[in-house]
Amino acid sequence: MSWVSRREVLFGTGGAIMGVAATVSGATAAGALGDETSYRHGPARSDREGAAASSGGVEPAGMTQAGVDRPGTPQRFGLLAVLDLPGATDRRALEPRLAALGATILSLTGESSDVLPDGAGDLTVTVGLGPRLVGAIDPGLAGATALPRFAGDDSIEAHRIGGDLLLALHGSDPVALPLALRELRATLDGTPLRWSEACFRGPGVGTVTRNPFGFHDGIAVPRDSEKLAREVWLPPEEDGGDPRVAGGTICVLRRLVLDTERFAHLEPSDQEAVMGRRRSDGAPLSGGTMFDDVDLRAKTPTGEYLVPARSHARAAHPSFTGSGLMLRRGYAFATPTTGDDPGETGLFFIAFQRELDTFVRTQHRLDETDALMQFARPTASATFLVLPGFDENQPLGSTLYE
Amino acid sequence: MSAYTPSMPPKRRRASLFGRVPRTAAYVFVLVLTACTAGPASSDDGPLGVLRVPADHATIQAAVDAAAPGDLVLVAPGVYTENVLVETTDVTIRGADRNGVVIDGEGVRSSGIVAVADGVRIENLTVRRVMHYGVLVTGMHDDNGPSAHGVDGYERLDPAMFPPVERFAVRNVTASNNGLYGIYAFDARHGIIADSYASGSADSGIYVGQCRHCDILVTGNVAERNAVGFENANASDSVVVTGNRFSHNRVGMTLLSNYQEAFTPQRANIVRGNVIASNTSADSPAQAEGGFGVGIGISGGRDNLLRDNLVAGNPRAGVLLANTEDLAASGNRIEGAWSADGVAPNGVDIANISADRAPAQGNCIGGSPSTLPKHLRAGCGTKKPSATAVAPGRLPDVEAPPGMSFLQVPEPPPQPGMVDVEVIPARLPNTVTDAAETPEGVPDAGLLAERSGVS
Repeated sequence: MSWVSRREVLFGTGGAIMGVAATVSGATAAGALGDETSYRHGPARSDREGAAASSGGVEPAGMTQAGVDRPGTPQRFGLLAVLDLPGATDRRALEPRLAALGATILSLTGESSDVLPDGAGDLTVTVGLGPRLVGAIDPGLAGATALPRFAGDDSIEAHRIGGDLLLALHGSDPVALPLALRELRATLDGTPLRWSEACFRGPGVGTVTRNPFGFHDGIAVPRDSEKLAREVWLPPEEDGGDPRVAGGTICVLRRLVLDTERFAHLEPSDQEAVMGRRRSDGAPLSGGTMFDDVDLRAKTPTGEYLVPARSHARAAHPSFTGSGLMLRRGYAFATPTTGDDPGETGLFFIAFQRELDTFVRTQHRLDETDALMQFARPTASATFLVLPGFDENQPLGSTLYE
Repeated sequence: MSAYTPSMPPKRRRASLFGRVPRTAAYVFVLVLTACTAGPASSDDGPLGVLRVPADHATIQAAVDAAAPGDLVLVAPGVYTENVLVETTDVTIRGADRNGVVIDGEGVRSSGIVAVADGVRIENLTVRRVMHYGVLVTGMHDDNGPSAHGVDGYERLDPAMFPPVERFAVRNVTASNNGLYGIYAFDARHGIIADSYASGSADSGIYVGQCRHCDILVTGNVAERNAVGFENANASDSVVVTGNRFSHNRVGMTLLSNYQEAFTPQRANIVRGNVIASNTSADSPAQAEGGFGVGIGISGGRDNLLRDNLVAGNPRAGVLLANTEDLAASGNRIEGAWSADGVAPNGVDIANISADRAPAQGNCIGGSPSTLPKHLRAGCGTKKPSATAVAPGRLPDVEAPPGMSFLQVPEPPPQPGMVDVEVIPARLPNTVTDAAETPEGVPDAGLLAERSGVS
């Protein structure tokens, strides 16, 4: 297609002299990453949840579920499973199933488990409910709205769009994940999978790691507890939230096949122009270091943006859409090459936000302006309400019916 | 090619405390001069309320700092290497000779004159070669200095914390070769930008942004050889743009909604009796998004009245309608003249390139301009989409020439100045556009051409 964008033929971005913004970095990386795990309205947490290390245990219980902001550094491996729950629009069918899932999660991640004889390690299980079931409880509830279709979505296979239940398992031990999934599914009376897929991510600190293009990803995200409370967690009642979903969050899951081959054939400078960041250290092309703000106004004397007009870093910047900042914890995938089938390499885009619109507005903008979208093809798309946290006394999903 | 990054201009008196912007040797030199010569202000040599530079005060800044409300700072011809910050109400800075009084940023300083107080006049002088803004009037300032934007990194600034500056006037100012903007009113109301000239800006020559019930008159100006001649983002109601020449830029003018600043959507400007022609300048910095050959761009703008303008010779489009994210271009009324003797036709007079998620709707088009798509006129005054849009690739194909460094753009020709420079002006009025008259009829293609440097 022609890469003449609407903005290209028109105008300045409108406005905004960047005065002050150029100098302030997103706190310092170290400081910000050290405080990733608490939730302002949550109870005091056990010591072990704060551990960013990928081997220690992660607290499954609390005001929020594990696997969103804890552990602060996402585990290296994941197993994503999407299921339908026929009949679960009925409270009597759904409530006990969710409660049983929660109990199984506590059991799997507890001190001893028959399923995981060596212990759970840093296993987390995050449970999300699809729009059909949320809408059956209350069409006005956060999470009741399905994702719209975006550019390229028309070619996604039907079973890869939406779904009633997300089970997102993450851990440092990839072998434990299917064992745990099997145990979880056993509580659901053998409900068949829509799809499931293993995924992985490179090393890193906090949410930052390299994506399949070899560039740093997960840089601009809310980190400290105040920002997480503002951008990610559905608010408690005293802040105007709905108590049924307080402590939950809206997850968007998109499977993107990436044309890494074509991208690799670009000159390094062209790759950086597509991303808007340096490949070596993740710094924005406007200068500074990885965690410095992207300076959207910085120009060359001849008038070109330092962070190019259609670069991903510019296109995805939330200031353009007037929306919030997503918490992104993406994972890579790779399928085998067999015969004539080159297999697929790509990214599970996984983002958490308080409002679905944060993602929707951003993706519309990416479809219109982002050069990186030329290298991405969606093959799955879904949104889920990540349920509020739970514990032994407050079963998973129990707040939904309060 | 060296790059530069916008950063805020130093707030002069707090610079030593905050020191966020490195000062140049020249700037330090100015401060030393100030310390040596700026004794108690003496008014013996002139009428009461006139502070003369350099006779009474070595620098413009020293005179401004010594001025009381109602005073006139009268600047003699010379080149002044200063960033001037005006924090006193109802002060006038006036050059004795528009072409001979030059504030020169030398390609290193941030800005020329920044006014953050009510009632400031800036008149009859030249501001050139600054990195960001030649003249800036803004209510958005704090201990870190003035700025002009709505976003700080990933944080949104609260406009309620920065009430707009009230009453301002920028007249007979020449702003050339400035990195971002020539003349810029942001978070300001009840003002006038008149009889000025702006060229060589990598963003726009003249900019009005982020205000509601702005009551701002933009009239009698020439903006040429800029990436964008005149730009409005989120400035709504009672902005009147009339009798200007916005020709020979890359894009003549824009009316934009922009989420990066407060008060979306942009709406309800009157744009009347302007010449917006031949926006194909190669002697200008690039428009960073690639814009070229466009007369008027309306992106997410609403309920604007465009009337009696001559819009011609813009090879991509005379007027473009587009969305800003989810904000549609809607309710705009567009009529005027689309051709003139000696001026080429537009590539297409009006085109709609809005995305499906925010289709243009309810726009009314008078006369018989050419349009893309052909049936663009459907939907006037209704909530129905203004017919389908065309993909941007369907527009006439025009190659944008490479950008020219803002410092290399040709200097402007001498501009007509004020006559009675000694007269201390009265306090600026509380309202501006109520009394403004807009001319009847489409202007001649030669409107203000005598002030243009483009032959």
